[in-house]
Amino acid sequence: MASLLRMPEIAANMIEAVLNEWPVAENATFAAGDPIATVETDKAVVDVPAESAGVLVRCLIEPGKAVSVGAPMAVLAAPGEVIDDVDALVRRLVGGPPATADEPTPAGAREVTQNAEPASATTHARIFASPLARRLAREHNLRVEDLRGSGPNGRIVRDDIRQALAARSDEPAPAAAARPRYDEIPHTRMRRAIATRLSAAARETPVFTIRGSARVDALLALRGELNASAGVKVSVNDLIVAAAARAHAAIPDMNVVWTEEAVRRYHDVDLSVAVATEHGLVTPVVRGAQRLTLSGLAEVSAGLVGRARQGKLRQDELEGGTLTVTNLGVYGTEEFSAVINPPQAAILAVGAARPEAVVVDGAPAVATVLRVTLSVDHRPVDGALAARWMAHFLGLLEAPIRILV
Amino acid sequence: MPELHPLQPEATWTALVTTDADWDEADPALLAAMFHQLVLVRAFEEYVLELAAAGLVHGPAHSSIGQEGGAVGSVLALAPGDEINGSHRGHHQFLAKALQHVAPKGFDLTAELPDEIRTVLLRTLAEICGLARGFSHGRGGSMHLQWKQAGAMGTNAIVGGGVPLAAGFAWAGRQAGTDAVAVTYFGDGAANIGSTLETFNLAAAWRLPVCFFVENNQYAVSTSVAEATGEPRLSARGPGFGIASWRVDGMDPLAVHLAMREAVAHMREGRGPTLVEADTYRYFHQNGPFPGSAFRYRSKQEEAQWRARDPIELLAGHMIRRGLLTEAARDASVAGAKSAMEAAGEMLLEPKPGGKPGERRIRPAEWPDPAFVDVGVRGDLSEFDGARPGGDDVAVHEVKFIDAVAEVMRRRMTADDRIVVMGEDVHRLSGGTNGATKGLKDAFPDRILGTPISENAFTGLAGGIALDGRFRPVVEFMYADFMWVAADQLFNQVGKARHMFGGDGPVPLVLRSKVATGSGYGSQHSMDPAGVFATAPGWRIVAPSTPYDYVGLMNAALRCEDPVVVIEHVDLYNSTGPGPVDDYDYHLPVGRAAVRRGGEAVTVVAYLSMVAEALAAVAESGVDAEVIDLRWLDRASLDWETLGASVRKTNRVLIVEQGPVGTSYGGWLSDEIQRRLFDWLDAPIMRVTGGEASPSISKVLERAAYARREEVAEALRRAGEA
Repeated sequence: MASLLRMPEIAANMIEAVLNEWPVAENATFAAGDPIATVETDKAVVDVPAESAGVLVRCLIEPGKAVSVGAPMAVLAAPGEVIDDVDALVRRLVGGPPATADEPTPAGAREVTQNAEPASATTHARIFASPLARRLAREHNLRVEDLRGSGPNGRIVRDDIRQALAARSDEPAPAAAARPRYDEIPHTRMRRAIATRLSAAARETPVFTIRGSARVDALLALRGELNASAGVKVSVNDLIVAAAARAHAAIPDMNVVWTEEAVRRYHDVDLSVAVATEHGLVTPVVRGAQRLTLSGLAEVSAGLVGRARQGKLRQDELEGGTLTVTNLGVYGTEEFSAVINPPQAAILAVGAARPEAVVVDGAPAVATVLRVTLSVDHRPVDGALAARWMAHFLGLLEAPIRILV
Repeated sequence: MPELHPLQPEATWTALVTTDADWDEADPALLAAMFHQLVLVRAFEEYVLELAAAGLVHGPAHSSIGQEGGAVGSVLALAPGDEINGSHRGHHQFLAKALQHVAPKGFDLTAELPDEIRTVLLRTLAEICGLARGFSHGRGGSMHLQWKQAGAMGTNAIVGGGVPLAAGFAWAGRQAGTDAVAVTYFGDGAANIGSTLETFNLAAAWRLPVCFFVENNQYAVSTSVAEATGEPRLSARGPGFGIASWRVDGMDPLAVHLAMREAVAHMREGRGPTLVEADTYRYFHQNGPFPGSAFRYRSKQEEAQWRARDPIELLAGHMIRRGLLTEAARDASVAGAKSAMEAAGEMLLEPKPGGKPGERRIRPAEWPDPAFVDVGVRGDLSEFDGARPGGDDVAVHEVKFIDAVAEVMRRRMTADDRIVVMGEDVHRLSGGTNGATKGLKDAFPDRILGTPISENAFTGLAGGIALDGRFRPVVEFMYADFMWVAADQLFNQVGKARHMFGGDGPVPLVLRSKVATGSGYGSQHSMDPAGVFATAPGWRIVAPSTPYDYVGLMNAALRCEDPVVVIEHVDLYNSTGPGPVDDYDYHLPVGRAAVRRGGEAVTVVAYLSMVAEALAAVAESGVDAEVIDLRWLDRASLDWETLGASVRKTNRVLIVEQGPVGTSYGGWLSDEIQRRLFDWLDAPIMRVTGGEASPSISKVLERAAYARREEVAEALRRAGEA
């Protein structure tokens, strides 16, 4: 029995998503669970798995087009199902205009060619914008594709243009006739999501920061020993994440999220790991980190990072967590602070492990020092609590054997 | 057993039959004039049929061959100041009047014809062919022949449509103090249609000097008179209306002439209208060069019997008998007429390049310029040169709306004795049903005319007055819905007249039309006519919302050379508002709207009573709306400057009106706004109208059917959300 593949609601309240690609060719078969469409939301690129085995009869959407949730994307058929007239099937399922051939044609009447493309596909591909908004966008070199509409049906209206213009008014105005002095890189959904979430966080969250540093010679030595034996490779960051997880487990009042009604304290320690990808920053979540062994954590983490770089994370792998660990040590950054990824309560910014002069027993010495900055949402967490957490965390780094137990 | 007393109509009904003695006594000059006109008209019609057969006449060619005696015999009884109009079969009527105008002493077809006659032939033929040098520049063609200077006021393609207009010509002639008469020619088909019968009644009631000349040619297309009426002697209709009537043999031009002389005398003596029925026959079918028998509705034998009584043969026979004409002169006259027509044809036609031998075409230079298509739909407004606009120098105070209505009319009628007001009960009830003509009947007894209930007739009569041009009629409709009753006169006649007859002739008619929505008068008394009038390009529309505006807009309407409908709302009559203290002479310029409230959020477009409703809704809603009172509603007079500036500012439009959506006004305006201002719109144009059905009698259903401030407020709320 032929059926329609519709755009799934991958995340709550999602309106539309972009069809990225068709992993299965038209007329090719697939097994249950095979990815049959790849869809990009504003947060992730998601494979849509097949519910059952079948044949992809017809793709209705070109890759790159936005599709409303629930709108048909493809026609699927059962394995072995014989379809005589694919066009007619498509029309029947999609509800497009009846074929000319199906209608009695008056003798001598002019032949009418029908647009075979389903109306819904083109409709959803259109970006709604008022005539005024389109004109203003044209005049100001804005692309309506880059704007988000606040009007009915998501229509881009005058005020959306004004906002966009206000947003860029800080930029120097390009000389009228001169060659452009910059290239405009259109926002991807991911870039826009990053901007929106972090702007909201910066605006709404009262943040304080706590800095600390740890001598990590022992930690580096331990890592060397671990990696010398066979098995999973452990990164410095894995050790840091593991230490943070242990610290959260030890100080559960830090494993919280602020909500309007209550402070939500989690049973499991879910930590996000920031991963830089070519599309931008993503923060997949390591779940139940307090229960994982170091090698287990390293394995999970490597899997997430790998799929993040391929753009293949699932939406559910991106949601939740109370703390993000972000590490710019690989770039040699000494120390930095980061913006909390809401609704999490904190973010730990980790710098590079560098040799520094330190005082050991009243005498100067050289040690490898790691500097960290913890940015904390002051609503659920007070300074003293964060300080206790920091002390515990740094203690783990300096006595890393405790991370392993 | 009751006593039965036979009753007789007051008016006389006479059959006039000529005797040889009449023929012997007839003035030779009259017979000669008659003969040459008849021969020339016949030659003209034969030439038209020849062109029609060659495909050179676009549209129908309604020939009058066989029935020329009626028109020629009757027109020769008229004087220069008399006015005629005619039917779709009107070439002979028009030519007779035009020829008499240019050659009042007659002409001789055996001699060189004067240029004036050649020009009449050429321009009439050109008009029938749809060419630029025609009397109406080719717009009117065969069925709309007009030459006002000759007193030929226009033939008409609507059966009976010209009859009420002729009553207006007659009224104007009498009101101007002349003894001129009007003659309206129509056929047996039109003897059964409402506008004709309504006009019989109105003309008789007002004793107007108009002659209803029935050319009974026995067939309405293919339907015989006997099939179409229970009294095939059509002149019998006259006495029933109190109209002196004559029945005469239309194939006998002298008989027609003698009957017409009696009728004209009757009218010039002030004894009221007349009816002359001329029994005649068209030799050919309704149109084109084939006889009716070819279409099987009559026999060749019947046609042969009528042809045996041919009017030209009859007249020529008597003239030869009396020695007034020789056979040679008769034949020379026919030849002269034929060559005059060929000469006219030469001017318009040329051999078709690459055509068959003898095949002709219209000379390309004779066609009108296609760019002329919409020229003269309405006037150029030059009549407003020097008109004094209203402004801050007009002192205002609070006045009752209805008092301003009556007062401005009093002022204008005092200053301009061309203005005449007519309508149902306008002369009684202390100023009609609403007081709009209060006190005017006493001041102007001969210019405030209470009419019978016959909108088509009195609207047409007013249209005739406007076409005549000596007076300026104001028609009042008690309810706007009655426009449908008068629709032919309003839209086919008054609205189209200027354009159809070439674009130059003014039609200064004011229609006061009342909207009574909300008064409980129900489905047939509650409409707003603006939407329908906006579809008729000849009409201008004003919709005053304050006493001050009413005065200025009525003054403008009365000055305008185009028909103007002044829409009034009964809700406003008893309201008060700013109005002039004593200045009733200013004009509100054509095409100028008023911004009643400035705002940034949305442009609310309203008119008439909905202006105040919209302002109240805006005040309640708190939306910063700009409210525009259109004042002038028609396509040509709309204030695009004001509307455009507002839309460019607010980028949103809400058009509000009260009445049902079907005949509503805003549809065309919304269409026009989106085309003119598309790139300035930030949202779809919104509209407030009533529902689908016309308002009912029941108070709650009526309220549910139309729109007021509540519906506007709701729309504003939605506009704010969108």
